[in-house]
Amino acid sequence: MYTTEARGTLDSYKSPIVCTVCTAPLSSIIRCTLQSPNTMRPISRALLRPYVCPTCRHGIGAGRRRFGSKSDTPELYDVVCVGGGPAGLGLLAALRASPITSKLKVALIESQDLNKAKAWDLEPNQFSNRVSSLTPSTVSFLRSIGAYDCLDVTRVQEYQDMQVWDGQTGSSISFDWSMETSPFEEMRTVATMTENANLVRALLRRIADSGDENLSLFSNATVASIENGKDLKPEGPDLSAWPVVTVKPTGPAAETETPKRIAARLLVGADGINSPVRAFADIPTQGWDYGRHGIVATLALAEPATQPFPASKRTAYQRFLPALGGPIALLPLPNNHATLVWSTTPENAAYLKSLPTPAFLAMVNAAFRLDMTDLNYMMGMQSSDSTHSHQDELAWRAQHTSLPTQIPPPATGVQTGTVASFPLRFRHAAQYISPRVALVGDAAHVIHPLAGQGLNLGLADVASLSKTIQYAVSHGMDVGDLLTLERYSSERYLPNAKIGGACDLLHKMYNVPGEGPVAWARSLGLGVVDRLPFVKSFLMKNAEGY
Amino acid sequence: MASLRPRTLPLSVRALRSTLRSTRPSPSTSLFAPASAPSTQTPLTRAHSTSSVSADELSHFSALASSWWDPMGPSRILHLMNPLRHEFIASCLAEGSSSPDPTSSAATLNYLDVGCGGGIFAESLARTIPIGPTGPAPTPTRAASMTAIDPSTNLIQMAREHARMDPTVDSHLRTGRFKYLNTTLEDVLAGNAPISTSAPASNPNQNPSLELTPPQYDIVTLFEVLEHIDPKTSTPLSFLTNCLRALKPGGWLIGSTISRTLPSFILNQVIAEAPWPIGVVPRGTHEWSKFVNPDEVKGWLQEGLMRAADTGVSRGGSAVAEGMRWKCVGAIYVPGIGWKMVPGSEDWGNYFWAVRKEL
Repeated sequence: MYTTEARGTLDSYKSPIVCTVCTAPLSSIIRCTLQSPNTMRPISRALLRPYVCPTCRHGIGAGRRRFGSKSDTPELYDVVCVGGGPAGLGLLAALRASPITSKLKVALIESQDLNKAKAWDLEPNQFSNRVSSLTPSTVSFLRSIGAYDCLDVTRVQEYQDMQVWDGQTGSSISFDWSMETSPFEEMRTVATMTENANLVRALLRRIADSGDENLSLFSNATVASIENGKDLKPEGPDLSAWPVVTVKPTGPAAETETPKRIAARLLVGADGINSPVRAFADIPTQGWDYGRHGIVATLALAEPATQPFPASKRTAYQRFLPALGGPIALLPLPNNHATLVWSTTPENAAYLKSLPTPAFLAMVNAAFRLDMTDLNYMMGMQSSDSTHSHQDELAWRAQHTSLPTQIPPPATGVQTGTVASFPLRFRHAAQYISPRVALVGDAAHVIHPLAGQGLNLGLADVASLSKTIQYAVSHGMDVGDLLTLERYSSERYLPNAKIGGACDLLHKMYNVPGEGPVAWARSLGLGVVDRLPFVKSFLMKNAEGY
Repeated sequence: MASLRPRTLPLSVRALRSTLRSTRPSPSTSLFAPASAPSTQTPLTRAHSTSSVSADELSHFSALASSWWDPMGPSRILHLMNPLRHEFIASCLAEGSSSPDPTSSAATLNYLDVGCGGGIFAESLARTIPIGPTGPAPTPTRAASMTAIDPSTNLIQMAREHARMDPTVDSHLRTGRFKYLNTTLEDVLAGNAPISTSAPASNPNQNPSLELTPPQYDIVTLFEVLEHIDPKTSTPLSFLTNCLRALKPGGWLIGSTISRTLPSFILNQVIAEAPWPIGVVPRGTHEWSKFVNPDEVKGWLQEGLMRAADTGVSRGGSAVAEGMRWKCVGAIYVPGIGWKMVPGSEDWGNYFWAVRKEL
């Protein structure tokens, strides 16, 4: 160790380095630092940074240098984000994009390989099954931080119309902006579909574009522990209220690299439903499991029977299936592809996943067309019975069903390996903030996916938190202080609770099977909303975050 | 000699808060009762060694320290007001630097915060001082250094303790870009301010220089101080004159206070000091007569500018006061929204004011 440092000192002796503060050349200082071997350590470290001669350094951060030489003192960061999903990366990209916060020293800890995520690539007609719909306000946030330009737009699909109907009563509502815009204008976008991997890659590219100054990405690394720091009296500051994260490398690097300790002025938990940051902050969550699973798959669709007008118009479809435990939705992807999200009971989900591809497709098409009774019957058919296939059953039953007008084109293919399921849950953290801790995204709230709002809420959190941090920095506030963070919390807690609650209510209303007061109320509600333009536009504006 | 009474809290703001949040638990009221009763405090706390702090004061200090910086504590409204102070200063500086000077964006300004208390403003400004002096200033307040003074040993001690919890501010304290001095404005002007170390300080009499030091500050701030001047020992006029003396020519004296009008009387005297649970401020906390109106501040400053100029190198006179650059804007607290600058609301209660000492 010591020889490398001595060599480093020698090399720098030859190089014409000058102090960035007083422009004293390095050589004049070397003479005095060589007198004592102990003082060489700071010199060698200083080579990694813009060089500042010891005289000036003494003036700038005498205390900092001394506590920096202790092995147990953590490295200080302004913002440490745990979790490199869309929310965590979005926060980092937003902070790097603003001139006010771009000088903050930031770190991100992600257990997956971020280099792999950055190199993610798929064939043009292959689509990942993890797809999200971005509301216009999310898109404008992504534009404002320069991330949208990094998105591969050929893999992104906007849609301008959304058909939602009740499989039990048949009442329907159509969400489009036609009542707000004149027929000569371009149709307004309801939402933009993008693969999460495409978004993550765009955010990583945006972060990479901002340079690596004051930025540390701990990829393939997990949080081994979070604890409070120590008072470094008398030589250093009091870090007893600062969270200190021990970052442990995973994978092959785990053997060679030692865990690193970093202290955070603000520790952001973007670390998902089982957030370690939330556990450290001792924030409880309320919530329940829906007892439902969401099935996702990437589907190829047949050419639509009637071409859309205008030609660029795309439609999303969602049908509530009270008898099967939740809605089925088909959201458009480029080139006549679509992503499926079907919320249903775990038994149904297991059954659907066990079906061979043609039978699975028949079930998806049936779910948009047939009555509840037919669907219930088909859900119980023996999947191995080759003489009596799902396809035949669908074809026969469809003849005897009056089909709604708004059904999607039939699904003709499933991309291999994309059928998957995940449990549906509702969670809401009791609070989003704690001293020097803020929660964003799924760490703060997990909601029912029936409105496709989860990622949008997470990115709205990030937009609000980054704005809050900007305000704090420009007003001399400590970004980890509760007085700073309460601005974020008060801006986001209620909207998130409102949308999460609305999704929960919708889920529960559309889980009452059969005819009855709830079904009548549902159909009356949808019918009334569909006929009252101002109510509908109010709902749409709320849903889209305008 | 002494111009500042060591109030532990800008009481007007506290009163305002208590009217808005009347559910404050009573223990915190008793906590502040000794501080607000003038008889229990010495009007001047000049001890510079921490060893002179009595056990009583220390226990009081520790209780006070935790609540002064408690975001939900009695000073909450003051904390919420703090960002507005930055904005008001920035607006003054934006007005002052009309010439496109390349150095005008650098962090070059030396601040003096008079009556810093627990350091709510001083610490927040110190946080904006850049570590390395190169490049443009990170904020429009462009601070290069901050000297914060308060006559209360307890509050200075508490402010220093709190500043250590932020490594950036702590490093500024160590390098001297940020100083907390347990002293009075008069002593700063006389040049015998005590050394700002937490170690047992030197005897203040070691430096008996009574020569007035040349003015050294670009910005002097006076937030929620003017209404606490003790009429027995000083007057607002002589106090403001001294503030102006500490200013370099071209510098700004910036402050905030409360006006003495009917709305503020109802709010601060009638509602805030009503019996619990409506009011939680002990009766007699406020001396409404000490509140000052914008035109009074303006008048004193005009007079003060002339006096300050007379004692300096240049000749003063009425010419100094005539072209006085004066700014004044009211601030209103709206529950659920926060503080807002409302031009024209100066007479309703809280307001910011600023004056520039011309070149």
